[in-house]
Amino acid sequence: MSDRENMLTYLARRMNLGKIIWLIVLTFFLVGVIFPFYWMVSSSFKTQIEIAGRHPVYVPHALRLDAYKELFDPNAPHFQDFGRNIVNSIKVSVPTALIAVILSVLGAYAIARLRFKGKELMLNGVLAVYLIPGVLLIIPLFAMLAKVGDAIGFEVQDNLGVLVVTYLAQTLPVALYMLTNYFRTIPDEIEQAALIDGCNRLEVVWRVTLPLSIPAIVSVFVYTFMIAWNEFLYAFVFLNSRGMFTMPIKIQAIFSDPSPRPHVVMAASTIMTVPVVLLFLVLERFLEEGLTAGGVKG
Amino acid sequence: MSVVSRWRSLRAQEARLGWALLAPTLIIVFGLVIFPAFFSIWISFHAVGLHNLNDVFHAPFNGLENYKRVVTDFAFKYHSIQNMGAALTSIVYSFSATALALVGGLIAALLLNKPFRGRGLVRATFLFSYVAPIVSVAFVWRWILDPRPSGVMNDILMRLGIIHAPMAYLSQRGLALIVVILLDAWRYFPFAMLMILARLQAIDKSLYEAAEVDGANVWERFRYITVPELRFVLGAVFLLRLIWTFNKFDDIFLLTGGGFGTKVLPILVYEFSFRLRDFGRGAAAAMILVAFLVVFIAVYLRFVMRSSEEA
Repeated sequence: MSDRENMLTYLARRMNLGKIIWLIVLTFFLVGVIFPFYWMVSSSFKTQIEIAGRHPVYVPHALRLDAYKELFDPNAPHFQDFGRNIVNSIKVSVPTALIAVILSVLGAYAIARLRFKGKELMLNGVLAVYLIPGVLLIIPLFAMLAKVGDAIGFEVQDNLGVLVVTYLAQTLPVALYMLTNYFRTIPDEIEQAALIDGCNRLEVVWRVTLPLSIPAIVSVFVYTFMIAWNEFLYAFVFLNSRGMFTMPIKIQAIFSDPSPRPHVVMAASTIMTVPVVLLFLVLERFLEEGLTAGGVKG
Repeated sequence: MSVVSRWRSLRAQEARLGWALLAPTLIIVFGLVIFPAFFSIWISFHAVGLHNLNDVFHAPFNGLENYKRVVTDFAFKYHSIQNMGAALTSIVYSFSATALALVGGLIAALLLNKPFRGRGLVRATFLFSYVAPIVSVAFVWRWILDPRPSGVMNDILMRLGIIHAPMAYLSQRGLALIVVILLDAWRYFPFAMLMILARLQAIDKSLYEAAEVDGANVWERFRYITVPELRFVLGAVFLLRLIWTFNKFDDIFLLTGGGFGTKVLPILVYEFSFRLRDFGRGAAAAMILVAFLVVFIAVYLRFVMRSSEEA
């Protein structure tokens, strides 16, 4: 028997049919998920020539930064000033996440610990927001905010603050729901003990409840951050000038450019995706709990 | 002060504090979700365009005119199997994308159910397509599915001899809808996977041991233990995803722009409102979307309630 046959019989003995099928299906899934991301990152390091060739280039010849230069280097041809769009995205998503955490901690504490009528109904009612399509709300919001803006004196178009408020409306319900569920898992006795020890209610929350809730608070922060970071429709409708675009809108604009430059689109997409995926990997354990518990919209 | 009234006022104080803490959230959600949702019903019965947007509350009432113009619109009506109109396209798209995502999620969950080296890593990797921003994901796929022979999907399939000429996956009627459905299943299977996996891990292992002793094979164990145990989570995830997929705008808009037989209701709402600047008609189209949605939600609630009664 040759070595090759030897190895095959060895493999066959070690693995039964079920295991082989399992391995094939697993490989199929892994390749299916990873390949698009590989293609995104590798394309971002290609040159115009590699991108526009007659055959696809599977591995870029060298890590060429042409695409990234177009995004960031003011001297590059077709300079996109992408740095500004990154800043805009941060200006929208960080305040959204911070405010969402603060407001939902207050609300969730009230629902989990205080006794008053109608709170259960409200918690469930607020969650119904998740079933209302964004495309339905954008029409009245567009009309209303124009009117309110006229009256109070703010511009609705190209106003990042308006986006923060609309994102808050979209994210607060689930933030409230997740945190309420979490607070309920913290035994009341711990707080009672602290109260008996002479702390007042605020001190109890600050010294006991919040430190115990860090995992949930981090999850809520990251969720709301991601939703604001990724959001497309509202930003697309409310932002008009290139200087105010958040990343998703800017990427759409680069894609729609008459002279197609996929490597630049891929470079911008890579920049937008990497922080989200890294954040997710670091906090995976926290986030998955939230995902299954809160049933996060996507 | 009597003990009872003092207790009552403490109670009232607690309630006041509760509402005060909730007030900011409630004001934002009411002002930017609940009120606008009802306001859009009002808009759907009025003539609202760009010219009177600043004076929207005085827009003229025009009865069912908006609805008539939606229902008789070319984009809404059924023409042929490759041009089904927005309502039917929405139904076909959301049902098949949801079903596929669920099947994919089930297979992925079964793959990960038994412990093996690197399971945590594989599981995290599976979630990438769900976690990554939709904009990057959509444009990567458009680039992979590039219609030129240099497009990587065309290149791979031609090398394997599966196709002989390059295909325009996202700009060919019929095919475009199928591809969009497949891509949606690709993006949303991880959600189903997480939910199903959580349930799988909770199944009592002794059930399987007992069945094995009784001589049940792998298929029988799956069919008579796993499937019944998963019934609730499968149903709930299906309906929830169906509702969300039915509402989805970004995915199709970014992949095809709503062209080539992929115009679903959310895209139609957007086009009436922000391309034609006819907000009344847009709102009317949105109401038609909501009518379907109400049915799905009713089924979902009934399902959840009945299942929780059984449990």
